[in-house]
Amino acid sequence: MSSNGRELSRRGLLKLLGAAGGGLALAGMAEGVGAPAQEAASGAAVKSFTGPGANPYWNSVGPYVNEAQKAPLILLTDRPVQLETPRHYFRTAFTPNEAFYVRWHLDGIPNSVDLNSWKLNIEGNVEKPLSFSLPELMEKFKAVSVAAVNQCSGNSRSRFQPRVPGGQWGNGAMGNAMWTGVRLRELLDAAKVKAGSVQVQVQGLETGSGPKGFGSNRFLKSLEITNPALDEAVVAYSMNGEPLPVLNGFPVRLVVPGYFATYWMKCLTWIRVLDKADENFWVKTAYRVPDTPRGNTTPAEMQAGTVKTVPIGRLAVRSFLISPDGGTKIPAGMGVMLRGIAFSGQGRVVKVEVSEDDGKNWTAAKVGEDYGPYSFRTWEALWTPKKTGRYSVAVRATDEKGNTQPDEGVWNPGGYLWNRIERQEMVVGSAG
Amino acid sequence: MNRKLRIVVLLSCGVVMAAGLAVAAGGGDYQPAALGQLPQAAPAELTPDGNYGGGAYPLYPPELAAGEGKVEVEGYCSVCHSTRYITMQPPLPAGAWDATVHKMQKAYGATIPDAAAAKIISYLHTHYTPETRKQ
Repeated sequence: MSSNGRELSRRGLLKLLGAAGGGLALAGMAEGVGAPAQEAASGAAVKSFTGPGANPYWNSVGPYVNEAQKAPLILLTDRPVQLETPRHYFRTAFTPNEAFYVRWHLDGIPNSVDLNSWKLNIEGNVEKPLSFSLPELMEKFKAVSVAAVNQCSGNSRSRFQPRVPGGQWGNGAMGNAMWTGVRLRELLDAAKVKAGSVQVQVQGLETGSGPKGFGSNRFLKSLEITNPALDEAVVAYSMNGEPLPVLNGFPVRLVVPGYFATYWMKCLTWIRVLDKADENFWVKTAYRVPDTPRGNTTPAEMQAGTVKTVPIGRLAVRSFLISPDGGTKIPAGMGVMLRGIAFSGQGRVVKVEVSEDDGKNWTAAKVGEDYGPYSFRTWEALWTPKKTGRYSVAVRATDEKGNTQPDEGVWNPGGYLWNRIERQEMVVGSAG
Repeated sequence: MNRKLRIVVLLSCGVVMAAGLAVAAGGGDYQPAALGQLPQAAPAELTPDGNYGGGAYPLYPPELAAGEGKVEVEGYCSVCHSTRYITMQPPLPAGAWDATVHKMQKAYGATIPDAAAAKIISYLHTHYTPETRKQ
């Protein structure tokens, strides 16, 4: 008999035991049969929207859906596709490809890519425009790998007060992968950038139905040619040692370690050197943040029109408690392992602290393996709640530049740069 | 059920029944699944050619509130994106909906006639503000 068959017999046995009126072994043994507590809490669906208050949940509230090459993820929108990664996938430092969040801007997403005709083009203000097929990229240039967090600029937008329009992400518009590919600088050097160049523009295969010249027609992003982030940027053809899912940018994606995902062009096909600043919508108007500490402002200041903005840049330091997720009651006196991840785009995470009293007192957690300054870093801390009651467990991270997560929210009209200390309510029950 | 298992069950029942006096009843309460189910995707059939991809992207049309202006919303907004962009939002103040529709026209170049834009705005006010949103 297969192990599955044995499992069924065991369940049949449990059922009989239950029918006989004895629950002796049931509570413990039924575990592992059902879904995680987070998903199976009460059998009722979460309300389909949140607001006008802040979204109280870790993730956004959409349904789970199946999309090509993906595990069931949380739906934000179906056209163009935006999918959020459920919380439990962040137990590890590297986020599985099939669970990696998805965010497209325009609805003309490639359904497939033909590698017999696809080429990466380096063009614009260069001496020698070049085109490379995927095998040429893999053979002609040295392969480099970097562990880097890809986080949407609007991750956690649903925390904002007052709420702002846009993709109403919970915390799952982020992921960490080991990206392997070719250094962007090597490609630019091969094409020989001409003097007087100011920016590097990137374009992928997505197109939109809007009129030509508008942001609804093409998605384009640019970075200053002198930006040191370009020295670390990688044109990646491998994600966690596998090809990229099409929804995450097959065949190659620009990886800009430490920077928000808006620059990480998916299905990257054109690298264009510009001799004047990019004036397109996605650079000039969108993805800009107030030029203030933490990108913070107020609706009144925006109304007054006095806020200077700059293109969004590096990730702010953040940390998350992943498990336990608050969906399971903890018996008083039982030690539980708090686990999570932390990251920063400013420098490696060097300290993670946890608090059981809503952030009044903090104790250091043990940080996990260091995969480099731009990676998720796992952390864990043993917690033994002695008294029954409701606890607000908080977590905060500090990076090597001394940036620590603040306990104040942030507000700007784009819904960007949220990095307040996260909290999870934990219920500790009487254990007799 | 095989014979060995049957004996184990009978023995266990006896033990449990004896112990059952001291512990809570098993319950064994089952209810129809309120959350429905998500079918597993069948594996894709792959061919060793140069084409890589996963086929068509599935559409999940949202339930938009019924009322005047819905036809205009479905017609004009859906040119570029699914109307989930509306239902995904939190309830937004009327002014934020005005600004959003105007942004679609001016910043994104959506060609919505003024009369239709007015109807779309009125529809969003009627169904998707903090005062009016129900679904």
